Amino acid sequence: MAEFGASEVVAARRARDSGLAGTVDKTRSAWFPLTLLAALLLLPALQFAGNYNYLIHLTLFTAMYVVMASGWNILGGFTGYISLGHIVFFAIGGYFAGMVFARMGISTIVLAPFAGLLAGLVGYMIGLITLRVRGPSFIISSLALVMIARILFENWHFVGGAAGVALPANDLPAEWAKLPYYYAFVAMAAFATWASYRIKHSKFGLGLRAISKDEIKAESAGIDTRFHKVLAFAISAFFVGMAGAVWGEYLTYIRPNIFLVVLMSVNMVLMCILGGKGTIAGPALGTVLIVAFNEIFVATLGASEINVLATGIIMMVSLMFYPLGIVGTLARRGKLPRILNWD
Amino acid sequence: MADIVQTAILGLALGGVYALMGAGLSLVFGVMRIVNLAHPSLIMAGAYIAYWAFRLAGVDPLLILPVAAAILAGTGVLLYKLVFEREARSAKYSEMTVLLTFALAMVMEGLLGTVFTNTQRVTSPDYATDAFFIADVFIPKGQLYAGMVSLGIISALALFLKHSRFGYPIRATTQNREAAELLGVNVNLVSLASFAIGVGLAGAAGALVSFVFSFFPSKHWEWIVILMSLVVLGGMGSIFGTVLAAFILSVLAAFVGFYVGAVWSTLTFFVALFVVLLVRPQGLFGEKPELA
Repeated sequence: MAEFGASEVVAARRARDSGLAGTVDKTRSAWFPLTLLAALLLLPALQFAGNYNYLIHLTLFTAMYVVMASGWNILGGFTGYISLGHIVFFAIGGYFAGMVFARMGISTIVLAPFAGLLAGLVGYMIGLITLRVRGPSFIISSLALVMIARILFENWHFVGGAAGVALPANDLPAEWAKLPYYYAFVAMAAFATWASYRIKHSKFGLGLRAISKDEIKAESAGIDTRFHKVLAFAISAFFVGMAGAVWGEYLTYIRPNIFLVVLMSVNMVLMCILGGKGTIAGPALGTVLIVAFNEIFVATLGASEINVLATGIIMMVSLMFYPLGIVGTLARRGKLPRILNWD
Repeated sequence: MADIVQTAILGLALGGVYALMGAGLSLVFGVMRIVNLAHPSLIMAGAYIAYWAFRLAGVDPLLILPVAAAILAGTGVLLYKLVFEREARSAKYSEMTVLLTFALAMVMEGLLGTVFTNTQRVTSPDYATDAFFIADVFIPKGQLYAGMVSLGIISALALFLKHSRFGYPIRATTQNREAAELLGVNVNLVSLASFAIGVGLAGAAGALVSFVFSFFPSKHWEWIVILMSLVVLGGMGSIFGTVLAAFILSVLAAFVGFYVGAVWSTLTFFVALFVVLLVRPQGLFGEKPELA
């Protein structure tokens, strides 16, 4: 009988764990997201051929939501903690970068990582408190967070209260003015997607997925669930905050009723649910669909109330009939096209 | 001194209205374990029924109250059959239903906003702007009547649950769903009935709200968090707890509003919700929430 020392057992466990965490689907396609990224990087060349500002704007907007939805997915998808209040971190990032930009003139694109870190730090602290409850209580506390933040920002005179602060526009010619933000958001979207892939297939990500399956079992299997959850919260806040930072300069103003809207908060959640929570391609796919839906509704029907109605209906239908989302449902049926398999 | 009494009275009067707004939410959670985030948007629907009845036919909101309650109870039956019955077997039931009711709230907001626009509305029967005076202290008639009617309805509900033949199975299901089912209670029917009653109470509350607050469809987000704070402080599922919490918090909010500033008054509810969830998630009278 072979004798094993404690260190060998630990080493064997480590190797097995990282093997388990690193398991990737052999059928996954890496070429499709990379091709997509290349196409997006080349897209602004269309400006030489004519005025494609609207297309650029829509792509930029989609890329921003991909950052937010992918960030949200780390907490909501991998860990299974549904937060309806992540828009708070969008506002924190937006206000921090916007205020520094207004006072010191440093571009928000440079500030974005720092805004993300600040949002992550605030997220870490909020997570320490709110992640003590789970299930419906957690969801409700996240909603309360939005309401609290809204009142605080609306009455905080330093950041302009309810009127907000106007930011200077850049002085590029109109056809190129959107480009810095466009590239910033595309880069962030690529980074967020890559990062969530790396997180999902790390040992940390394995811990998160274990928590979403059964937190008590995860805890008894030796996973420090509290640390995992709070860190996941902070990471997801980081991405949302980063997106918020650049959005303020792009819009040229920061204001509570732009940065703290429940509808935007829901959109993030809905994109993940529709596309497929806990998958890598899900948030991106969901974002493209929801942005397209929103454009169609606003363009054809105009009123924002109808937009709210449609968002609600889409959310109800996808929750009731496809709770795993498009990517999740197709994967379960073994019919997922390879180009959508990014895991 | 007069200030303190006055503030307390205004807080208590509002507390009565909040109590009815929260009661239905609490009942539905107790029986079905559904946190109905759509509840405030259904209250909004009740308020619009009262508003248009008053505006078009001059009917007093207090008279239209039973009608609003009946219409909303019917809606409740429909919603239960269409949406919630099939979710009963869902693995992540509680999270699933929260998200579903959240989506439902958006559907209601969108519907009401599309049909009635986002203009501020309020019904104005003559008592809504009138008040009783006792020495220096005034008691607004509208809020007093609303609070009294609300407490009347809640007492009737409590008596119904406590002493009627239909109340027993509802209470049994609240206490332990599986055990009740084992003893032959038709929990599906009980769930349907209590969901209908809960939503019906939203309709009744809507009729009262219509002359106490000015309202517009997207205001329900604010109400959600206010009502959740009552239900959570009272202990999820305890109707008595909800009523008590309504009085405690709205008096507290009235004092905050008077002494600190009107904008911070609603913040009282939000912060209270946060604090209760973290310090004592089971609230005053609730059971310790199940894990997972």
